[in-house]
Amino acid sequence: MKINKRAQREAKQLFRLCLVNGLLDENHVRQVVRRVVAADHRDCRAILSQFGRLVKLELARHTATIESATLVPPDLRAAIEAGLTRRYGPGLTTTFIERPALIGGMRIQVGSDVFDGSVRAGLAALEKRF
Amino acid sequence: MGDLLREIEAQIAGAKTAAAKQNVGIIRELGDGVARIEGLTDAMLNEMIDLGNGVTGLVLNLEETEVGVVILGDYTKLKEGGEARTTGKLLQVPVGKGLLGRVVNVLGEPVDGKGPIKSDTTYPVEKIAPGIIRRQPVDQPVQTGIMAIDAMIPIGRGQRELIIGDRATGKTTICIDTIISQARLNKAAEAAGDKGYRPLYCIYVAIAQKQSTVARVIGVLEEAGAMPYTVILDSPASDSAANQYLVPFAGAAMGEWFMDHGMDALIVYDDLSKHAVAYRQVSLVLKRPSGREAYPGDVFYLHSRLLERAARVGEKYGNGSLTALPIVETQAGDVSAYIPTNIISITDGQLYLETDLFYQGVRPAISVGLSVSRIGSTAQLKAMKQVAGQLKGELAQFRELAVFAQFGSDLDAKTRAQIDRGKRIMEIFKQPQHDPIPVEVQVAVIWAVQNGYVDQVPVERVKEFQTRFTEFLTTRKGELLGKIEAEKALDDPLRATLKAVADEFKQTWK
Repeated sequence: MKINKRAQREAKQLFRLCLVNGLLDENHVRQVVRRVVAADHRDCRAILSQFGRLVKLELARHTATIESATLVPPDLRAAIEAGLTRRYGPGLTTTFIERPALIGGMRIQVGSDVFDGSVRAGLAALEKRF
Repeated sequence: MGDLLREIEAQIAGAKTAAAKQNVGIIRELGDGVARIEGLTDAMLNEMIDLGNGVTGLVLNLEETEVGVVILGDYTKLKEGGEARTTGKLLQVPVGKGLLGRVVNVLGEPVDGKGPIKSDTTYPVEKIAPGIIRRQPVDQPVQTGIMAIDAMIPIGRGQRELIIGDRATGKTTICIDTIISQARLNKAAEAAGDKGYRPLYCIYVAIAQKQSTVARVIGVLEEAGAMPYTVILDSPASDSAANQYLVPFAGAAMGEWFMDHGMDALIVYDDLSKHAVAYRQVSLVLKRPSGREAYPGDVFYLHSRLLERAARVGEKYGNGSLTALPIVETQAGDVSAYIPTNIISITDGQLYLETDLFYQGVRPAISVGLSVSRIGSTAQLKAMKQVAGQLKGELAQFRELAVFAQFGSDLDAKTRAQIDRGKRIMEIFKQPQHDPIPVEVQVAVIWAVQNGYVDQVPVERVKEFQTRFTEFLTTRKGELLGKIEAEKALDDPLRATLKAVADEFKQTWK
């Protein structure tokens, strides 16, 4: 869908309205979507599409995905969560995923930051060096 | 075996397994050699991006939620949704003497099939030009071997001289002749063991040229033995617009290495009008706002930052230099178009080539009236200055009088003499391509013209007179030429010898 500049600007303004203390407020987001749909604006679809994209990126920025070859024990989970909160601040949602393809180690992604300590990444780096 | 195992175990115990932080993004949109990547929050402008599958990209647009990346490689290997990573490195190319004699692409990779390039140093493609503190005035000549240029529009080491003209007027030929002249001078100095001579290395950057044209240039340079002193960068017409946009900057980086290491280099950008078109294409695909003739607003800055990198740096900074010869192609002789006027205002002068002159047989077809070198005679040998100081003015007078003479035949003797002299000077300045003339021969020939030795020669035989006189000088009076070359100025005894030699030749000339 082609999103014109005006729609982009309005989506950004709406997105800003949804931030409370720098964090995205889910209720505000729902309310904005409801109102825009109800207003039946000409660029409604474009605005909501861009708004949705901004929300998705914001959520990704505050979501930590932790992948590991085996299940992470609860004490280690707590330590990881504490470490991530220290680094990225409060309001971080953590998701733990079991991914045997990593062979060993762990891969953590927060927004576009990736900390890859998995065996698979190590092997890939080694392969590149050869 | 037990020792080996213990050693491995010790190594494993000591190994650190810290995971390095990486910055990744997802390719959201792909097309026309440009990728839009979501994420990559740490990306820097002009940073190289690893797009996977061995393909590299260059960050050109930093936006709020995504970055615009030009793809430097085969974009058919990439897919939307693929992962991209920052590398923390700016785009760099190999530099150094290992590149001499080679033909490379925009990334400095060889394309001539002569094996890998021996170079362990790299330079960033985008670099800030030397500032005023590092620079010193341009006062050393670049001997192009083209008499009309060396005598009237001298080019200095560190200067930026634009070569402008319509298609097929001999713009590239002037540059190729200059490269050949440098190679001859370098070789001669090497053979003579002259340690005081500063060799001039050449870089020829082909931007969006036909492969056949580039192959012809390589052939000419190889035939003339100029390749050992030359690097050729090629981004042909079939290359992506991003590569065509980057290739002159890669060439400038290679030239800067010579300058930074106290050497002299000359770079030819062939040509910047095609470069501007490539940049326009990249900018439009990146959805940057367009301005006049759909060029982006920063097209002036694009060329000014490129040409500002040509400089002569001070003794304290190695005394090196980078001379730039940008070429611009005009349409129907229109020098007032957008890109030509931009580059005219950036450079330190221009050589304007005229189609009419070219087809009249005046080759090189340099229009003396419109061509200028803002460095002037400071970048000229004293001997040349002494013999050719008045030439430009005399030719300008000749052109005016020649136009006036068309309306009537009753001219006074002085005017007729001026017109006759002008016609002979025009003949003297005609020169075949790929045959540069040594400066000492140029000085002797111009001295002969200025002192009336050609006045009695019919205009149609002036060229023959010049050829015979040059032969006479090189075969029988090598000592005199050697003296002019060594002393670089004409004193009274040297003038007397020149007169004696010219008189001796005139007796044999029929």
